[in-house]
Amino acid sequence: MMTLINTFLADKGIYMLTLLLLSLGVAGVIVCNNYMKKLICMNVMQVAVIFFFLCLGQKSPGTIPVAMDTVVKASDYINPLPHGLMLTAIVVSLGTTGVGLSLLLRIREKYGTIEEDDMLRREELMTRVEKNGGKRD
Amino acid sequence: MRKTITIILLITAVFVPFIAFNVLPVIGDPSSAPNTHVSDHYIEHAIDECNSPNMVTAVIVDYRAFDTMFETTVMFLAGLSVIMILANRPKKKIFAPSSLKRFRESGHPIYKTVNKDVMISIIEPVILIYAIYVLFHGEVSLGGGFQAGALIGMTYLLDVMVVKREKPIFNLPKKRAAAIAGIGPFIYALTGFISIIGGGLYLEYNKFPFPIHQAELHSIGITAVEIGVTIGVAGTIITILNALMERISFDDDIN
Repeated sequence: MMTLINTFLADKGIYMLTLLLLSLGVAGVIVCNNYMKKLICMNVMQVAVIFFFLCLGQKSPGTIPVAMDTVVKASDYINPLPHGLMLTAIVVSLGTTGVGLSLLLRIREKYGTIEEDDMLRREELMTRVEKNGGKRD
Repeated sequence: MRKTITIILLITAVFVPFIAFNVLPVIGDPSSAPNTHVSDHYIEHAIDECNSPNMVTAVIVDYRAFDTMFETTVMFLAGLSVIMILANRPKKKIFAPSSLKRFRESGHPIYKTVNKDVMISIIEPVILIYAIYVLFHGEVSLGGGFQAGALIGMTYLLDVMVVKREKPIFNLPKKRAAAIAGIGPFIYALTGFISIIGGGLYLEYNKFPFPIHQAELHSIGITAVEIGVTIGVAGTIITILNALMERISFDDDIN
């Protein structure tokens, strides 16, 4: 039984960890009230996806994918394809984080807060004031 | 409500994949599906087809050059959209909440051992040299355009955040920085058109109209593309940084 668990963890355990990271990110996006924290959780999710792809590119006796004279077999180099794809994914995640931060700044300027509860309360107040013809009741 | 949805989601996320674990390959298995079909071709032919010992660079800027070109364009568009979102005139700068004001001395930490202004002016040239090294070693050893661009952007970020200056050394407001970021995809696209002039397809590096050896042409193409990527990424990082920094201010700002 113990060896079964050990082999399972050695073979597939890293998938569980990346999945845990992904679900933590999703849970954070759903639960958090603060939009800044939501953005951070979105980044955690992206990191989990990147980990997953890098796990698929591993080979157990492999070295880095830079060609050397002494190593000629293809099975001795780890898979360069996930590394290339994830390199661009990291950079795009930087772009999405920048756009998210600028949206957060606009929200902060309009509502004075980035907490979701306060924002909803403020929005309700603004519509009520508008309905009353510019007067607070 | 949200808590229950989250708990259900987490439970499914933890337990459902036990069914799917049979589909996923064993870690480090050289004969698994992602490690066999096209990956072997990339590894075996990267040197004689692209003259690039670094296979990751060969994959992203030679085999998948279109992908990287539009990826750089996506970065440029991200910088542009940050500018568009923050295009209105701010009523007033957002200051730190007044509860932080009583820690006024927190903005002026007294360094008893190391002066940060002197230290940063020693570190910054070293980072820049490293960035150039990473850029031009993109195809022969570890390195590449994205990393070099990130390092150059990092240098600008360090200079803006750490050193207090009346006037910045490089005055790059967001519009100028976005123009610099636009140069990057332009260089990338121009490289493709040069190979069309030589009679090849778009981004077919070995059809460049230069009288040198085929393998050298690939090196020139990869380096030109990497320079474009570097400029694009560095410009985008500086754009986002400056667009955000002109809206906010900290306790220890000079004005």
